[in-house]
Amino acid sequence: MDLTGLPLLTGVIFTPLIGALLIAFVPREREALTRWLALGTALVTFAISLLLLPGFDPAATGFQYVETADWIPAFGIQYKLGLDGISLVLVVLTTTLSWISILASFGPIKSRLKEFMISFLILEVGMIGVFLALDLFLFYIFWEVVLVPMYLIIGIWGGANRIYATLKFVLYTLIGSLLMLVAILAAAFSFQAATGSWAGAFDFEQLRGFGFDPTLQFLAFGAFFLAFAIKVPMFPFHTWLPDAHVEAPTAGSVILAGVLLKLGGYGFIRFCLPLFPQAAHEWAPLIIVLSLIAIIYGAIVAMVQPDLKKLVAYSSVSHMGFVTLGIFIFQPQGMQGAILQMVNHGIITGALFLCVGVIYERTHDRTIAKMGGLAAPTPVYAAIFGFFMLASLGLPGLGGFVGEFLVFLGTFDYSPIAAAIASIVVILGAAYLMWMYQRVVFGELSDFLKGLGHHLTDVTPQELVTLTPLIALTLAFGVAPGLILDLIQMPVGEVLARVGGPLTGAAP
Amino acid sequence: MSQNELLALLPLILVVGLAMAVVIIDIVLPDRDDLISAIASGGLIVTLIVIAVCGPLPGGVGLLPREGVQLFVDSSGSGVIVRDQLTAFLDLTFVVIALLSLLFAVDYLKPRGLPMAEFTATLLFAISGAMVLGSGRDLLILFLGLELLVLPGYMLAGYAKRDGLSTEGAIKYFLLGSFSSAIFLFGLALVLGFTGSTRVAAIADVLAGVAAGNAPLSLGLAMGLALLTTGVAFKIAAVPFHYWTPDAYQGSPTPVTGYLSVGPKIAAFALILRLFVDALAPLKADWLPFVIVLAATTMTLGNLVAVTQDNIKRMLAYSSIAHTGYMLVGLAAYAGAAAGSPAEAQGLEALLFYGAIYSFMNLGAFACVAALQRRPGVTSQIASFAGLGRRAPLLGVAMTLFMLSLTGIPPTAGFFAKALVIIAAVNTGGWVAFLAVLMMLNAAAAAFYYLRVVVYMYMREAPDGARPVSIGNFTRAGLIVSAALTVVIGVVPPVTTAVIDMAREAARALL
Repeated sequence: MDLTGLPLLTGVIFTPLIGALLIAFVPREREALTRWLALGTALVTFAISLLLLPGFDPAATGFQYVETADWIPAFGIQYKLGLDGISLVLVVLTTTLSWISILASFGPIKSRLKEFMISFLILEVGMIGVFLALDLFLFYIFWEVVLVPMYLIIGIWGGANRIYATLKFVLYTLIGSLLMLVAILAAAFSFQAATGSWAGAFDFEQLRGFGFDPTLQFLAFGAFFLAFAIKVPMFPFHTWLPDAHVEAPTAGSVILAGVLLKLGGYGFIRFCLPLFPQAAHEWAPLIIVLSLIAIIYGAIVAMVQPDLKKLVAYSSVSHMGFVTLGIFIFQPQGMQGAILQMVNHGIITGALFLCVGVIYERTHDRTIAKMGGLAAPTPVYAAIFGFFMLASLGLPGLGGFVGEFLVFLGTFDYSPIAAAIASIVVILGAAYLMWMYQRVVFGELSDFLKGLGHHLTDVTPQELVTLTPLIALTLAFGVAPGLILDLIQMPVGEVLARVGGPLTGAAP
Repeated sequence: MSQNELLALLPLILVVGLAMAVVIIDIVLPDRDDLISAIASGGLIVTLIVIAVCGPLPGGVGLLPREGVQLFVDSSGSGVIVRDQLTAFLDLTFVVIALLSLLFAVDYLKPRGLPMAEFTATLLFAISGAMVLGSGRDLLILFLGLELLVLPGYMLAGYAKRDGLSTEGAIKYFLLGSFSSAIFLFGLALVLGFTGSTRVAAIADVLAGVAAGNAPLSLGLAMGLALLTTGVAFKIAAVPFHYWTPDAYQGSPTPVTGYLSVGPKIAAFALILRLFVDALAPLKADWLPFVIVLAATTMTLGNLVAVTQDNIKRMLAYSSIAHTGYMLVGLAAYAGAAAGSPAEAQGLEALLFYGAIYSFMNLGAFACVAALQRRPGVTSQIASFAGLGRRAPLLGVAMTLFMLSLTGIPPTAGFFAKALVIIAAVNTGGWVAFLAVLMMLNAAAAAFYYLRVVVYMYMREAPDGARPVSIGNFTRAGLIVSAALTVVIGVVPPVTTAVIDMAREAARALL
């Protein structure tokens, strides 16, 4: 099949939008049709994203499948898309988790189904767009497109305290992103001032070789950093995350942890480092310290959480700390590890939220203290939950291990002390996850669960369909991380060549 | 009078003629509200076409020459009235404002027994005042336009005369409005006395001499300029001259509030362009700090107070103060840029573009409130919006769109408006770039109260016994037009570019 010449990237971005428009015309009472149409759209999008794989050349430098069209010529704003290995991996992660999330919300979402599916598909448009945009203005637009559907998903279909959580989520994100807009415009303007024309002023490929003035670099990096750090979220900008996760519906949590947090990490690698390399070196020590704090703080706080979702949310803060640590030591293993960690965290944490969702569907509760003894009535569930728990704590052979290991390796080169600090968390991680698992799954069946009687069923076939692909991927990336590493080697090298690593100087 | 001069005045003549026709028809055929609305909206649509035909608009559109036409030219070659690309751009904005205000008013006034004909005529007279402001190059003409704009405004504010709040708001508006007009007039007299002319071009010449150091800035002239500035600051409701706004806005009938929040504001910005940018340009470095402070305080205070409002009209009133601040950032970007630099034009371009976009998105937001209040007795408390997304889906979607656009979330028109202002501010640099950052922080704060409306509409249930909302046909048409503009200017690239081009050419006409 010859796919050259087809605008595949535009296709993968806007297929969900077409689905959303179709759903808008489906009568409200046809709920089954709405569900299947949404799932079908997400599966088609997933298929298109897979079509990108055969034609992708991992050995080539630069961007592939590039599409360019003028958008607002007066300011040199373009509709420009393209992808390299990093975006490819994250796009496929997004399309995978999207259809899984839509399938997972078949049961739980009962009110305003139509609006939910439309929001979700528009959310997918924004997420894929962020990973593919090569024009800063276009990137910003996709970045904001993500915001509104997520705001609605948490705010309409969320838990009791959803309005507080969703406003907090939006305001945190907006403060970061609006300052990023100023920085984008300032960067474009300084390009225009130097070249005398707006042509290419928002074009990432032009800007990354431009070499901005050091003061501008420092300030613009700060603005970008704030936007991405809030999204990741890095300590101390993480406080919106536990609230948002606790209130979001299961599908929202899966996407939030699985993809939205990755937007921040991706932003650092794609935009922050190549555009502002000098500032990146100035900011790196601070970011490394914050990452180490996040890694340990997230783990310690996760330990004492009474709520399953909150526990997983704080574990995300800890795991994403590895991502930022890996990125900012400017060293190949570290950055490859960071990207692996992003993908694996997306899969594993997404799966953990699905597992929590399974319990919640049956008990309408997530309090760890009320659980206990799930192993006997729901053995399959206990096994799957256990599998992802082990993957999350970084058991060798499963997905979570390789990324963290590579980050350790990179960090050790830079500062053995930092590596030692980070490695403490492996022990902490094992502690809070296994302790949680023990309280929920082992022992006597708790009185609360006994009260549910026959409602406490094992995983349904539909739930199994959502979880199985994630199990397969966790195993695959654990045994053969090369599947991803081969794709990202070249782009990571390019980024590092621009930023000039590894980081030297006094270790924090 | 030459053909070009006639063409230049034609749009104004049409609007005034339409206003008088409405008055006469009401005398001949009383109580034919629908007929009046149809004639007035039809007439305004014709006026829009006439403005487009007369031009001048970018790309050589329009019969009039690109550089514009001056009327009543004196020996120095400068006219009293001018029709250039700026006039055309402003006229289009004003007529769209009038048209939308009219469409939104019909369904609101009728159930309350308020007459339509008087409203229409008053509105049209006010708009003709705005059009005079957009074309005046003489202080007296500008003052004339200003009074023609605001006097009908007082009447409109007190239009529901049996409603105590409406009357209170109108009296506050009238007293502070006359006060500020008097200040403006006094400033005008001083400027006339110390420069010897009311012509904008002549004043600019005198001030250019002062700026070049050839002549001292006399105390009287300085006072005159300060009083003019103060008068204008009242009209655009910049902090600390904004106190009349919330009461006037809350008390007025909702469609009137919508009109008051855009019509007089954009018209006052037209006055600023004609007066400050044309006449006071030589001294712009001197008034730049004033504009910066005004912009910073206006947007920040407007937003901070808006956050605490539970009445949606009051909330939109304070938020409109904030938007004034954003537009002032555009003016600051102009004033801070070196004379003749591209940044100069960009500031004005951003200001004009923002004004046009703001007009219909803010009008649309008020129209949603008005539609909700069609049944008398519905309050403008934010709680009235609870569960609206389900009770009236069209209204819910439209209001969400306007709220997102006012916040500045892409890909709506409001986003591009903010983006242009920021580009201009960053372009100018210095303290003005700091304003851009402040503006974005403000936008984030504004997101809180705009999204709160969305929260009420979609995330809270309607109170028991809430009746379904029926939207009238006129309101529906107006909502569709303003929502379509908000989306299309944001999403369809050629349209975005075309509107930006119009704003750019309009700005260049001034420089």
